[in-house]
Amino acid sequence: MPLLVLGLGNDILTDDAVGLHAARHLARHFDGSHEVHVLETMEMGLALLDFMAGYRNVILVDAIQTGTAPPGTVHEIDPDTVPRLAGRTPHFLGVGETLALGRLLGLPMPERVRIFAVEVADPFTLGTQMTEPLQRALPAVIAAVTAAALEMRSASPPSPRAELAAP
Amino acid sequence: MEENVKQAFNQGNLRANAAYEMGRRRFTIDPITRLEGHAKVDIYLDNQGDVERAYMQVPELRGFEVFSLGRPAEDMPQITSRICGVCPTAHHMAASKCLDDLYQVEPTSPGRKIRELVYNAFMLEDHALHVFVLGGPDFIVGPEAPPAERNIVGVIGKVGLDAGKKVLSARRRVRELIAYFGGKVVHPVLGLPGGVSKPLDPADLPRFKELANDAVEFAEWTVAILKQIVLGNPDYVKMITSDAFTHKTCYMGMVDEQNRVNFYDGKLRVVDCNGKEVCKFDPRQYRDYVAEHVEPWSYMKFTFLKQRGWMDFVEGPETSIYAVAPLARLNAADGMPTPKAQAAYEEFFKVLGGKPVHHTLANHLARAIEMICAAERMQELVNDPEITSPDVRRVPTAVPKEGIGVVEAPRGTLFHHYQTDERGCITMANMIVATQNNAARIAMSVERAAKGLIKNGHVTEGLLNKVEMAFRAYDPCIGCATHSLPGHLPLSVHIYRPDRSLLRELKQG
Repeated sequence: MPLLVLGLGNDILTDDAVGLHAARHLARHFDGSHEVHVLETMEMGLALLDFMAGYRNVILVDAIQTGTAPPGTVHEIDPDTVPRLAGRTPHFLGVGETLALGRLLGLPMPERVRIFAVEVADPFTLGTQMTEPLQRALPAVIAAVTAAALEMRSASPPSPRAELAAP
Repeated sequence: MEENVKQAFNQGNLRANAAYEMGRRRFTIDPITRLEGHAKVDIYLDNQGDVERAYMQVPELRGFEVFSLGRPAEDMPQITSRICGVCPTAHHMAASKCLDDLYQVEPTSPGRKIRELVYNAFMLEDHALHVFVLGGPDFIVGPEAPPAERNIVGVIGKVGLDAGKKVLSARRRVRELIAYFGGKVVHPVLGLPGGVSKPLDPADLPRFKELANDAVEFAEWTVAILKQIVLGNPDYVKMITSDAFTHKTCYMGMVDEQNRVNFYDGKLRVVDCNGKEVCKFDPRQYRDYVAEHVEPWSYMKFTFLKQRGWMDFVEGPETSIYAVAPLARLNAADGMPTPKAQAAYEEFFKVLGGKPVHHTLANHLARAIEMICAAERMQELVNDPEITSPDVRRVPTAVPKEGIGVVEAPRGTLFHHYQTDERGCITMANMIVATQNNAARIAMSVERAAKGLIKNGHVTEGLLNKVEMAFRAYDPCIGCATHSLPGHLPLSVHIYRPDRSLLRELKQG
């Protein structure tokens, strides 16, 4: 069963596009691969259900603004620790709830989801160019996600051994 | 407030904020809660420790006008629909109508009908999402339920697994219709000046007819659930009608020639808190009727009725503050354009004590009634013989200069206004989004909640929840700011002493 790498973000909100840029790079890298599917979306919440259903392993790449780390820092977030968003948000259903909802409805939801969230400097200004720190950080983001994709790709069949060679 | 007092207030406010900013860096705070993009409520106490003022701010989208300058106007339906992943179709339609006006071209009748079909499908889907996933769970699961259960999973626990499947299936099929005409749901490529880019193939009509029929049934089922769960519970009714969630303001909404609700086109009508018409105008004249007020404490511009002038955050028959969104639309109209929605509309006002209804939380039920209206309108349109006509566009020939396009977005009236040079490149672009129209009333709701919960410097527990409910009922559109992980909008409340020093900080999220 292939692995899904899903880039999230908005390509006209400056740094919010970082997940999309990473996904575009990976899409070229894994072009034609039967093991790794790479997609990007500007949607969120419930729409993620449509993307994730049917995959056993999923990697999400998104922007985050914690204010506690320099822009460009790659955080890896455990989906179980992403707060249960509950009624808090007017527009969003969290990854955790989306997975729970899918399972409740009997949809084939992934067993494992890894979230890479890149610390951004400016996700609120309309613009198609990322800020300088993010442009500089992009290769490292791509490297981290690619490494995870290679590891999860090889982990998705029964074989537990990590394979680090390029496809 | 006197001008000099206001200045002193602002200086103190800035200092307090600066002090807070400085101090904040010394704390180690959980990265998930310590987001920059958060809703911030500032509460200022007087010498008695009671609330003097309370303000709410949400993150602001920046740079729209600069980004638009010099771009071809034809790109605006795509650009504006990309601003926000929540209401792309509303921006797309407002921008498309703006282009019609800019190029002085009236869409062909089939082109207009396809736009309306897509738009009503979008209203239905977006409203359903809000009722079942976003705001509605507060009621369906219960406002006192633990936050972890107030979500779609909790809704399914309450109304059953089949209901959950029904909701998701309806949503998927409606989105298929939008995608049929516009390609991707998030980046619709549908509206062109003078019409749309794609006709409806007669071979595809049967499935859309079936969808429209199912949509009506789904919307009626939704209203029935809300009536049973919400109106059937005296505690909920008490809360909905309580003073804490009631404001007597004016209401704005788009209406057709018979003053019935219309989401896509018509005149804008405003009624006062007694239901009396204040004004009714062509959206192109919006600048004569709507003005923006700036408060020193907020970058948000508060819209108000220009002819009445800004009178501060006050209620009553004379107020210049108006609300938008489902409840406001129902209040501002004389009825609904379709029979089942009309019946639900009449019952709504009967149950809630006559028209207009001033209870903010009644928005949830009003939203469900609008779902019936959208579904019935879809049904009318797919049964219109013209809907499969290939004549979907009139090509414009006029030289562009200025255009204004207005629709009723799910969250209220949405204005787009562009000026261009003779080649059609943008020289000015302005938007008034739904939440801006509601901003003044939201501010009043937040202040009301704060005043009720803080007395003599004592902060009642549950303040955060109540303040949050006060603003969530409006479904404020902050989607553009909530994309980044974790995707929700943490709320922080800062309470300041009379000397503007920070007394307490409360956080949720």
